[in-house]
Amino acid sequence: MDFDWDPEQRAFRATVRDFLATHLPPDWESQAHGPGSKSQSAFSKGFCGALARAGLLVPHWPRRWGGREADPWTSFILAEEMWEAGEPRGGQYMNVNWIGPTLMRFGSEAQQERYIPPMARGETIWCQGFSEPEAGSDLASLRTRAEKHGGTYRITGQKIWTSYAGDADTCFLLARTSAGKGGISVFLVPMGTPGIIVRQIPSIIGEGDIHEVFLDEVEVAADALLGAEGQAWEIARTSLSLERVGIPRFALARRMLHRAVETLKRAGRFGQGTFAQAATARAACEAARLYSYSIVDQRRHGKTTGPEASAARYATVMAERLVSEFVVEHVPEALSGGDAMLLAHHQRAIVAGIASGAAEIQLNLIATDLLKLPREPR
Amino acid sequence: MDFELTSDQEALVSAIDKLAQGFETKPTEFHGFALVSPELEHELTEGQYFDIAQIPELGPLAAAMAVERLARLPCTGEIALSMLLRPQLRKELPRPFGLIENGRPGRFVASARTVVVIDGETVSIAQPAASEVEPVDSLLAYPMGRMREAVKLTRLSDEEAAGARKWLRIALAAEASGLLQAAVASAVEHLTLRKQFGRPLGAFQALRHRMAECAVLAGGVRWLALKAAGTAEEADAALAALHAQESATRVAYEVHQMLGAMGMTLEHPLHLWTYRLKALVAELGGRGGQALAVARHCFGASV
Ligand SMILES: Cc1cc2nc3c(=O)[nH]c(=O)nc-3n(C[C@H](O)[C@H](O)[C@H](O)COP(=O)(O)OP(=O)(O)OC[C@H]3O[C@@H](n4cnc5c(N)ncnc54)[C@H](O)[C@@H]3O)c2cc1C
Repeated sequence: MDFDWDPEQRAFRATVRDFLATHLPPDWESQAHGPGSKSQSAFSKGFCGALARAGLLVPHWPRRWGGREADPWTSFILAEEMWEAGEPRGGQYMNVNWIGPTLMRFGSEAQQERYIPPMARGETIWCQGFSEPEAGSDLASLRTRAEKHGGTYRITGQKIWTSYAGDADTCFLLARTSAGKGGISVFLVPMGTPGIIVRQIPSIIGEGDIHEVFLDEVEVAADALLGAEGQAWEIARTSLSLERVGIPRFALARRMLHRAVETLKRAGRFGQGTFAQAATARAACEAARLYSYSIVDQRRHGKTTGPEASAARYATVMAERLVSEFVVEHVPEALSGGDAMLLAHHQRAIVAGIASGAAEIQLNLIATDLLKLPREPR
Repeated sequence: MDFELTSDQEALVSAIDKLAQGFETKPTEFHGFALVSPELEHELTEGQYFDIAQIPELGPLAAAMAVERLARLPCTGEIALSMLLRPQLRKELPRPFGLIENGRPGRFVASARTVVVIDGETVSIAQPAASEVEPVDSLLAYPMGRMREAVKLTRLSDEEAAGARKWLRIALAAEASGLLQAAVASAVEHLTLRKQFGRPLGAFQALRHRMAECAVLAGGVRWLALKAAGTAEEADAALAALHAQESATRVAYEVHQMLGAMGMTLEHPLHLWTYRLKALVAELGGRGGQALAVARHCFGASV
């Protein structure tokens, strides 16, 4: 066991930092950059294009698709640095982390040729059409249906909470081709297809983040189907295993905690009444960081990661909670125009236990798969 | 000891309750952060409700009951400071009040005729002209504002400042009590109606116990706030404010967890309560500040 970075990892982190230093606009930190805002989406295209040209967009991808087969640490260090900087890649982080790799595994030759190169060039935005009004944690109950008519599918239904939908080119959509959990399929649906209406949902987490997507007899060619009919669950399992540790939220949380403490120090308000709370939050960030690292390292050693990944994610939820509570209590001006970066962090932190799977579902997995506790009666 | 309401209190509570019923729902088209109701303000003024603490048969305890009931509404107004703090200040000061701490944007400042200004240990009063204050955009569900420039401050004596802090604590706790109850009720409604995995979310033990704990916290804050308003003791005020901030921190997290993504929208009213709770959590030094007051007034520590 060794808790230090090796020279190559250090060098890579330094390269990413240099890139950020030269490519983020000087006023980046003072802009309110909600992850899905129009300005963020537009910015992400230029930024990701530059990342791609520098070999920093998809280093962990196979050479065929523009990567260099870098190890899981490389992509995690990259993700840490990006998230810590306020995720200038916007929604494109999804392409890099799981949509691209999922298409490499399950896509047809034609689908791969069509969709992967634009991702590798950093010029396309995807959205993830999973959740529905009646299907949140219970995703298997989704109702959007895709009916086959000759050489096409007609998709009708509704998605909700879809991030980036307002600017997305393509949707990674789950729809039902027959009844039951085994009846769900994945479709790659161009967002410009007639019959799709996107409505932004006004929210406390910033402009352009969450949307409703209405699908009314949306007709797509049969080759919009990814893999086989009914394969969604298997595909989703793969995608999820790629996203196992989740976003390295602890990196930004830790940085924002330090930022809040610096603000307090400058005002002469970092005193007795704040130490224990700041320290507790700091420790939670560190616990989340090491927990996540242990999962990344399992992957680097070619081990399959199990339910500890859920534990790492929950540790991250706890860190986000404590940091955001600290800021709300001691640097409240952050919520009232006092610090755009702390505000943007607040808006991300409060969804840590909800977005991409609720915290309670992670806890259920930990109890069942890690602790082997008997299940709740159904 | 008698926990029943007097007939005067009973009459007041039912009058306030009747008045509140007209403001019970958030207008569906409202998608802002703070919902301010001039109509509520108007009705409270017309009914002379801002002066109930000064009526001998009612007093601050009944005022705290009114504050608590009105805080359960999705809309807000400058009520608690006027009903609980204003009558305790020596000089007659015009309402509405606002509150600024350590130079940060504060509640109701942009429309205040009297602003309580706290800076470290000192408490002062300002009476800014309308041109000297301005609103500030905020995620918080109170109208937030600040002074455009330095205005003339009248510093309170140490004794007056201590009294002001005490009544600020009581006002905070009474307001938080109502907000907590409303936030819990809103989450309970969601857990009752929303089904996942073929059953109402409220049937999952993992959520039931947490909601039950939230309800217990809200109930505890209510008793502490009412007692503090009734006794006007420093220790009671400190305990009430501490328990209010502690419970607010916990409950705000829990109810948002329970609502899932729905709680992030401006369409659902939950944030109108939780983002007032979040504002209150920061006041008077937060939990650390209240703990210090408890150490002083309950444990006799010379801190
Ligand atoms: C910012 C944001 C972005 C999002 N982006 C996307 C996106 O791009 N695409 C997409 O498809 N979805 C997206 N989502 C939706 C997200 O995946 C869901 O919010 C999440 O799966 C939870 O579902 P829900 O909100 O319906 O909550 P619900 O499932 O209704 O859950 C509400 C509460 O009940 C609890 N609960 C549910 N079931 C159980 C159980 N069995 N045991 C114990 N507790 C339980 C939950 O943990 C939670 O606390 C996003 C959400 C947010 C907040």
